[in-house]
Amino acid sequence: MALAVFAYISMVLFIGITAYKARKLAQLPLHGRMELYPVPGEKGRHEYGGSYYEEAEWWKKPRELSKGTELKEMLKEMLFIKKLFENQRPLWWLSYALHLGIYFLAAWSVLIIAGAFTELAGLPVKAGAAAGTSLWAVLLYYLGIFTGVVGFALAAFGSGALFLRRVFDGTLKKYTTPQEYFNLLLVFAAVVSGLTVWGSDPTFGNARSVMAHVLSLTSFAAGPLLVLHVILVGVMFIYIPLSKMSHYVGKYFTFHKVLWENEPNVAGSEMEHKVKQALGYRPQNAWSAPHVKAAGAPAPEK
Amino acid sequence: MIDHKDLRPKDLGNPDQQLIKLQELMPLAAPYDKPGMEPDFKEIKDSWKEKYCASLDGFVGIDTLIRPKSKEEEEEFVGKFLNGLEKIFSDANNGVLQPLLLSFEYCAKCNTCSEACHTFAASGKNELYRPIFRSEVLRKIAKKYFTTSGKFFGSLVGADIDVNWETVARLGELAYRCNLCRRCAQTCPLGLDNSILAKEIRKIFSQEMGIAPNPLHEKGSMLQLKTGSSTGITKPAFLDTLEFLEEDIEEKYGRKIKFPLDKKGADILLLHNAGEFMAWPENPIAFAILFEEAGLDWTLSSEMMGYDNVNYGLWYDDTQAKKIALQQMRVAQELGVNRIVIGECGHAHKASAIVADRMAAAEGKIPVESCLPILWDMVRTNRLKLDPGKNNFPVTLHDPCNVVRQMGIVQPQRNILKAICTRFREMTPHGVDNYCCGGGSGFAIMNHCNFSDFRNKVSARMKFKQILGAFQDTMENSEVPKYVCAPCSNCKGTIRDILEYYQASAKFNVHFGGLVELMVNALVSMEKPFLEFLE
Repeated sequence: MALAVFAYISMVLFIGITAYKARKLAQLPLHGRMELYPVPGEKGRHEYGGSYYEEAEWWKKPRELSKGTELKEMLKEMLFIKKLFENQRPLWWLSYALHLGIYFLAAWSVLIIAGAFTELAGLPVKAGAAAGTSLWAVLLYYLGIFTGVVGFALAAFGSGALFLRRVFDGTLKKYTTPQEYFNLLLVFAAVVSGLTVWGSDPTFGNARSVMAHVLSLTSFAAGPLLVLHVILVGVMFIYIPLSKMSHYVGKYFTFHKVLWENEPNVAGSEMEHKVKQALGYRPQNAWSAPHVKAAGAPAPEK
Repeated sequence: MIDHKDLRPKDLGNPDQQLIKLQELMPLAAPYDKPGMEPDFKEIKDSWKEKYCASLDGFVGIDTLIRPKSKEEEEEFVGKFLNGLEKIFSDANNGVLQPLLLSFEYCAKCNTCSEACHTFAASGKNELYRPIFRSEVLRKIAKKYFTTSGKFFGSLVGADIDVNWETVARLGELAYRCNLCRRCAQTCPLGLDNSILAKEIRKIFSQEMGIAPNPLHEKGSMLQLKTGSSTGITKPAFLDTLEFLEEDIEEKYGRKIKFPLDKKGADILLLHNAGEFMAWPENPIAFAILFEEAGLDWTLSSEMMGYDNVNYGLWYDDTQAKKIALQQMRVAQELGVNRIVIGECGHAHKASAIVADRMAAAEGKIPVESCLPILWDMVRTNRLKLDPGKNNFPVTLHDPCNVVRQMGIVQPQRNILKAICTRFREMTPHGVDNYCCGGGSGFAIMNHCNFSDFRNKVSARMKFKQILGAFQDTMENSEVPKYVCAPCSNCKGTIRDILEYYQASAKFNVHFGGLVELMVNALVSMEKPFLEFLE
């Protein structure tokens, strides 16, 4: 029972700290413009990196924007790590293995939870050959095997290979801190401990059974390996949002709120409203160089 | 001295007299791939080492960064830096807080950015110029002094650097080994930007410690705020210059053109980089010829801050940038023009259109646009009669980072060149993937001690290689003139210097200039060539 409670707490903390970080980043003050082209939202110009500034008297013309292209580029980056693929292929193979492994493991976790609920509802999750098995249960069964096997294999390979690359690559080694080795090792240990716990049953029937106990808050016999696995995964879930592995939060802001923001300050716009608010703010801290102090902060124009 | 292959960010505080020495640079293309084609680095003088911080790589970029005379001065220097470092994460720095924190916190050190950096490549992949090297030093110092994890866990979380005068001074110098071109940010899988951190270091030095290269600060933004122009041209001198140019136009080209001046309610206020009037007057002359021939309603301003579009604050000091930008806006408002058009100056494009965009509410603000779309409109709508046969020589285009990568103005200048030149060819790479000229972020005007050697041989090396590549078919044929079109004053200055440094004009007939000069040269109405090298 204590193990189940710990698992719940770690998930709550993962979601809570992630949301807190996202909120803190979102609440930071309006910043100066820092677009970097190509910007995907620029309809018809994104392919070559163009923008509305290519038009004379751009402010008099309707801006042609495409949310679809922005979404497409965002998905390419999220699902395939496009920039790494294009700019550093050797590392992409390893990094993508880890990230794809994580995606598969996330899907596997959902399937295991769904399978546990299904079994709690009295429907056994089994192979299709068994008489009386529903299509839903069969899907959960086979998809669970596929996502689990692929996920564990890719995540273990990716995290292990990234760790080894940092250890043996002379350049990366110079920039890697002990904490950053620890980050990769923690992920690797969590995944490998999962492999040792669930690996003896590649159909993941045990995992569904344990999950059913966790979901129903009923006691179950946990061997030392399972205890270790749950603790490692729990610690990982709590630690990730506290570390820079929470780049899944930061990446949204770097692209959508900085590089792709592309929002000019034109009269009557929402941006103008935000600019007016930002200009009204009086900072508590001030710079000390003589030329700054002498002139004082320049008065904002309203 | 440390072998650069062994150099680590924490070595920045080492007591060595000089951390690294540049040796094997990136090879250039033919004919500069042969020995003896390239001048060697100038030897560093002992007096420079004694006075400035030459202990990074043997170059001096910051001519106001003077070695301390006592332990107290040294401690004061470090203390001020740490104060400034703390402030960049405070509300004193609101305008950049979100992008800064993101780039500061999330670097995965995947090293993807290195291959994108022209300086790193040109230096023979010297570790010191790897984009994350500088960023990592800043992170280490900040972690050591301002984070709980750094205070408790020290080297385990990377807070393992000795912070002394040498560390801080070298970091200040290192901030002036990056052109802030943001090409590395384009490749980052997490969307992070090392140039933000480089600029923050420059800001700490200027805004907190009062230290910035003289050409940027005292002889740059301060002079501009005092006289109206970073060139030091005052209003009477500016008026004299225009008068002289009008006579020049009549004498050379037989045209009577009067520069429209302080015309209230004009459609366009054309803002030039005042350096053009001094170094390349043919550029404002060409603008005047084109705008008059196309019948535009335009004016120049002779008011304080109205005749120089530069804003050096952009490179090192947000407070200076804001003072200049707001005063330039005011000039346009008082003239009552419909729009501000920025001439061929890349950083002024970014300063006026992008950086200043959120410095004032939109209501009453005069819209800003680049000169390039207007120039293309003139060509596209046949308002100018042009004969591309007059530009029958190889022409390549340099893309100023500020105009292209940071504003998305890619096609107008290309469309014009394709319409007015018979032998236009692109550099590789180009457009938003271009390489910086090597003079960006102030390098073009920094010539103190041996800094011009760093620019000519290292930061501008990739651009020179690109130019050589673009003209490979005729490079060694000195009978064929070749033209590098650089629609930006700073880029033009850098390209002028590299062509002179490598004697590419003298030996191989390679020339440089802006876009409008080529346009005027192609005008059917011009009786003789506008470009002097064709005469």
